[in-house]
Amino acid sequence: MLKRRSSSQWIILVALICLIISVSSSAAPKKNAAPKTPPLNLPPLKTQEQKMQLLGYIRQTMPTRRIAQRITFSSADLDQALEQELGPAAQSLAQTIDDETFIRRASLDLTGQLPEPDKIEAFLKDQSTGKRSALIDELLESPAYGRKWARYWTSVIFYESEANKRRVDPQALEDWLAEQFNKGAPWDYITVMLISATPERNKAKRDDYGQDFGPNNFVLACENKSTELASQTARIFMGISIKCAECHDHPFDNWKREQFHELAAFFHPYTYKMPDQTDPKVQTVVQPRFLLGEKPHEKMKADARRVSIAAFLAYNPKNYWFARAYVNRIWSELIGDGFYDVDSLGPDSEVVHKPVVNRIAANFRYKDFDPKWVFRLIMNSRIYQREIRTSNSDSELFTAVRPSRLRPDVIADSVENLIGEDPSVRKEIMQAFDMNPSLPQDALEGSIQQALLMMNNQELQTRLSQSELKEQLVKISSDTELVQSLYLKVLARHATPSELERNLSYLRESEKREEAVDDLLWVLLNSTEFRTKR
Amino acid sequence: MQTDALLHLNLNRRGRLSRRNFLQSAALGIGGSALLSQFRLHAEDLKKEGRSCILLWLAGAPSQMETWDPKPGTPNGGETKKIQTQAPGVEIAHYWPKIAATMNEIAVIRAMTGKEAAHERGTYHLHTGHRMLGIEKFPHFGSVVARELGDPQSDIPNFVSIGQTLSSGFLGVQVAPFIIDRPGQLPDNVVNSTSDLRQRRRLALLSQQEHEFAQAGAAELVKEQSELYQKANLMMTSPRLKAFQFDDEPAAMQEAYGKTQTGQGLLVARRLVEAGVPFVEVRCNGWDMHSSVFSSMERRAPEVDQGLSQLLLDLKQRGLLEKTLVLCMGRIRTHSQNQCQLRSRSLASCLDSAGCWWRHEDREDHRLNQPTRRICGRPPGSFPGSLCDPLSQPGH
Repeated sequence: MLKRRSSSQWIILVALICLIISVSSSAAPKKNAAPKTPPLNLPPLKTQEQKMQLLGYIRQTMPTRRIAQRITFSSADLDQALEQELGPAAQSLAQTIDDETFIRRASLDLTGQLPEPDKIEAFLKDQSTGKRSALIDELLESPAYGRKWARYWTSVIFYESEANKRRVDPQALEDWLAEQFNKGAPWDYITVMLISATPERNKAKRDDYGQDFGPNNFVLACENKSTELASQTARIFMGISIKCAECHDHPFDNWKREQFHELAAFFHPYTYKMPDQTDPKVQTVVQPRFLLGEKPHEKMKADARRVSIAAFLAYNPKNYWFARAYVNRIWSELIGDGFYDVDSLGPDSEVVHKPVVNRIAANFRYKDFDPKWVFRLIMNSRIYQREIRTSNSDSELFTAVRPSRLRPDVIADSVENLIGEDPSVRKEIMQAFDMNPSLPQDALEGSIQQALLMMNNQELQTRLSQSELKEQLVKISSDTELVQSLYLKVLARHATPSELERNLSYLRESEKREEAVDDLLWVLLNSTEFRTKR
Repeated sequence: MQTDALLHLNLNRRGRLSRRNFLQSAALGIGGSALLSQFRLHAEDLKKEGRSCILLWLAGAPSQMETWDPKPGTPNGGETKKIQTQAPGVEIAHYWPKIAATMNEIAVIRAMTGKEAAHERGTYHLHTGHRMLGIEKFPHFGSVVARELGDPQSDIPNFVSIGQTLSSGFLGVQVAPFIIDRPGQLPDNVVNSTSDLRQRRRLALLSQQEHEFAQAGAAELVKEQSELYQKANLMMTSPRLKAFQFDDEPAAMQEAYGKTQTGQGLLVARRLVEAGVPFVEVRCNGWDMHSSVFSSMERRAPEVDQGLSQLLLDLKQRGLLEKTLVLCMGRIRTHSQNQCQLRSRSLASCLDSAGCWWRHEDREDHRLNQPTRRICGRPPGSFPGSLCDPLSQPGH
């Protein structure tokens, strides 16, 4: 199933590239002289290929492309820009992390998986200066990279979706996204694929709404409703909150109620009517208009309008929100704090250290929205490689990395790394550790169920006690070696001298060595560090 | 009066009151919180009285005319008949004979209208008192009750839900619903996986391990986690845990509630309330009845009819009815006789132990907060066994 889809994807992609080339070389749109309403001269836009062909052409003509050749922005530039912004706070920068902490942090961030003990040892032994950078490159090329970020974005799209479960397929979206991320598809391509989709229902088959095709699932998650599509597009791809404007002018922001409905009108198949604020029965027709005032051609049909909003969103360089929303999401996930809350930005004055995020965002556009470029930029910087510290004041922001709760799928992977595959334990973890991917880390909280699950779950405890890992640990005759192997496997680091001493005395004082190993495993499994990115 | 003040806690849902600000101002008692402090004052009184609330949620969209508002003989009435209840003048649909026979104990709150046509949105509205607008996640009103009436040091959660329900929203984990799926059995993972002695040794070692991580820069996370572990361990050893279990419940009592998910859920709810839990929700699924409403009603109603009437009798016998508000509500759907033309209007109707038939035709969306505002008291002028239906029209 998966294979078939991916091979057909390739065909589509190849066809698309050919089409883009032919269009850009031959068919520059002819400007008719009629001054007021030039006739609409669009190629057919029924299928996804046709839409992407046109969008590809628009992309080719982005005015930023020429500037991009002359501009560079490196991790060192980023550090410099940020330290300048930090001002006096730059005096209290946290220390740089050691290699062991770095390999765990980078592996969790890029693959969602812990590094294996031999990998850690090899990384520690490596004497070359560029080894951290090389590790980042290596991890970005592993299939787990695409999977991890596909899971994240699928969760972003589906977390608050109210769509009927039978009419959506989050797995198809995840698979498609994983494929895109792994082959380095640019973020604008991914976005316009999602936004411009117009899935159609196949009435011949029960519950077939086109959800098998991954990119259809953003629109399906919004139930293809104009208002939902408008607010989710703004929330996910621009990082701004305009949902309140559905009912009234935003109290603290510039968004007017009309603007929300004009945006919604873009997604409507026919004529969009805005209900009156006081009497919902009174409705006025609203013409589609994007947030910066761009209007589509009057004669555009629904399919074409979807293409045009995708273009206004991604290819109007004045829409700085688009690039910045992605940058801020990734930054928040990597650093633990964002420049602003990832999906609820009000006025721009809420953005902390705005010059820095704006510069990254502008360069993200110059780099053709290459998602991997953002990871390389941030992770090679000194700010990413600082020790953890929790600060709750804006002035100390980004002087250290915030310790972050790991996502449910990452915790499930970490547990399965110890006990082997186990669908029932995985399911329980996914439920108990469920978290909204759009909430800032400081708004997330743990639960009693999480504690009970990790302490007492019978299946988990039995599997742990009978695991290959435990068997290997018990076989190690030297206690010191045993403790070090344990820490390397569970927490992906060596034990500190005090930890070593404590664990050694625990082993000595226990009557049964095997039971004592169970206890040590239990302790690390239940430690905060196990479920945290440090 | 008291309860009225309690019920009018109403956050400004047009503005963006952040969770952090809200909690800070609540904790410090500052920031225009005259209303809030008044709220807390009355909550204290209610807490002393040991008040609790049980919510039976009929998930889906139970039909108005097949539940508490039959309209036989009208164009929309369908084949449903009405029956007399114990309370003179109050008539309900014939699927509910046992409820009818306990009508003197019941006050039914009937109805108000809402603008939400979708299940999720209507459910959200009725559970939080707010329509689903904006990004703010409002708390389940059970979480509000748990926060204000529950003991923060309690060894078992202050809000238990039998079946999935909404979250505590911006009120956070302390008052989040503790969800169980199998009524009558212990919650998942509460049994110690090892001996008490070993557990103590493990926890001691864990706390040292945690200490080191806290020093490494994760103090806040470690603090929260140790609180949760403490709560979890309290719960594991709590004598009140047996409230979840039926071991000491006579078989006859289990039979009386009905050996159904709902019946057994309500029995657990009674046990939990008896043990001092301030809020329990029991979710009853299967009320989304489209074209098969009459046959489905025959199938689904008896479970609730038996469980709910028994709950009221049982609470009364134990002297708990006085201080326990029992609510049975759902997103009530109106339907017409041909059963295809569903009106997009949703109508909430509930049955409580201190209310009345209550219908509220409200044209303004923003004034639809009544269900939660009224949750701890009875609607004005209502008394058990009464019917309040000022806007009733035949066939409406």
